[in-house]
Amino acid sequence: MRPLNYAMLKYFTTVDEACADDVMGALAGDYSTFTAFKREKMQEALMTAEKNGLIAESRVDLDSNGDLRVFYSASEEQRATIDSYIK
Amino acid sequence: MQDASATLSPADLARQKKSALDASFFKKGIMIALFSSLMYGFYTAFVTAGQNSVLWAGWTAEIAPTAFLAVFIIPTIASAINDTCSAIWALAITIKQGKLGDFGRTVNTRPGIILMLSALVGGPIATVAYIIALSQAGTIVVPIAALNPAIGSILSRILYKQELGPRKIVGILICVAAGLMIGSASLTGDSSSNIVMGLALAFVAALGWGAEGCIAGYASCMIDTQIGITLRQCVSGVVELLVVLPILSVAGGVPMAQTFSYLSAAVANLPTIACFVVAGFAAYKSFASWYRGNSMCGTALGMACNGTYTFVAPLVTYLVVGLAMGIDGYALPPIAWIAAVVMILGILVIAVDPKELFKKKEAAHATA
Repeated sequence: MRPLNYAMLKYFTTVDEACADDVMGALAGDYSTFTAFKREKMQEALMTAEKNGLIAESRVDLDSNGDLRVFYSASEEQRATIDSYIK
Repeated sequence: MQDASATLSPADLARQKKSALDASFFKKGIMIALFSSLMYGFYTAFVTAGQNSVLWAGWTAEIAPTAFLAVFIIPTIASAINDTCSAIWALAITIKQGKLGDFGRTVNTRPGIILMLSALVGGPIATVAYIIALSQAGTIVVPIAALNPAIGSILSRILYKQELGPRKIVGILICVAAGLMIGSASLTGDSSSNIVMGLALAFVAALGWGAEGCIAGYASCMIDTQIGITLRQCVSGVVELLVVLPILSVAGGVPMAQTFSYLSAAVANLPTIACFVVAGFAAYKSFASWYRGNSMCGTALGMACNGTYTFVAPLVTYLVVGLAMGIDGYALPPIAWIAAVVMILGILVIAVDPKELFKKKEAAHATA
């Protein structure tokens, strides 16, 4: 089992794009009891990863409740970087 | 009056909300980075206060100021106790936050190992150098140690090929000039015992922290900040206690038992250890906020905000040690304050691109 932040980043090497809700849905089985497993904290972790070039923002939209969804993706180079650090 | 958002298309509304989210994230990053500066001030003040306790003052009075014990061993004991207290705080908060499992899983990973190696540079090497510098030259060394953002920029250019254009070079020159101003002030009127060694060791600390900010900054964008800082403080505390202190004892011909008798006496003395417990907490908060602020608003701006401790550390030390404890010698000469302002200006020139600031202001007006 990987640390939560590693699992979050590693997820982007397996999908075309994802928002915080997608990441949480995919990781809920192993990490839902973690204190950091909250939408606001996950969104902040994604923004931090984006700020440091590990992932890139792909698009934004609103969900059915009118809440913002920010989608991120990892390019081939970004996937290689994530894979080189996180096994 | 009609709600403006009601007239926007869903796509425009999403972009508006994203701009607000970005602005909130940016402001939070700056506030966290500035908070690291305030906590750095308290860390400096209480480490200094611990070294002014009755117990410590007794040692200072009975040991020759140029003896190896006084120059290296006793200040390193202060650093080891501070970082160990800080590691205990960090571990306790990691446990409270339910992150101990992730802490264990991070240790034997590549980012974890990189972060621990940078902790060795920024912890045992830089922190011990800084504590010795403080003990030898007083808080006049603080602005010298504050050169670390400039050094971090240069190392980032060398190691990670990051941009180092004319604006940043000018900023570095301003910082160097400010350092020379402080040095010239120190040669007149400062009563510290070994000012040249203090300033030199403060520069070693700046090198170590610049390297740490550069190397750990990258690792910490993958590692949860709380876990990262716990790794840092644990490595630093353990290595200072179990490696640096024994090495210094052997190198200086000081019996190991004598070194550790000073350590145990400091830990057992309530007024002294109380100062280090507070200093350790402030150090934990300062370095945690430094890592987090850097990762949230970019290393350059994060380090520039953190660099305001040039003002904050001597000010808090003066308030705590000078005013509250009534110990003379902690008021800085005017030229040092002027130099600190110049140094902050240099740090800001290095870190803040006026074009980006202008763009952010425009974006803020557009979303208002």
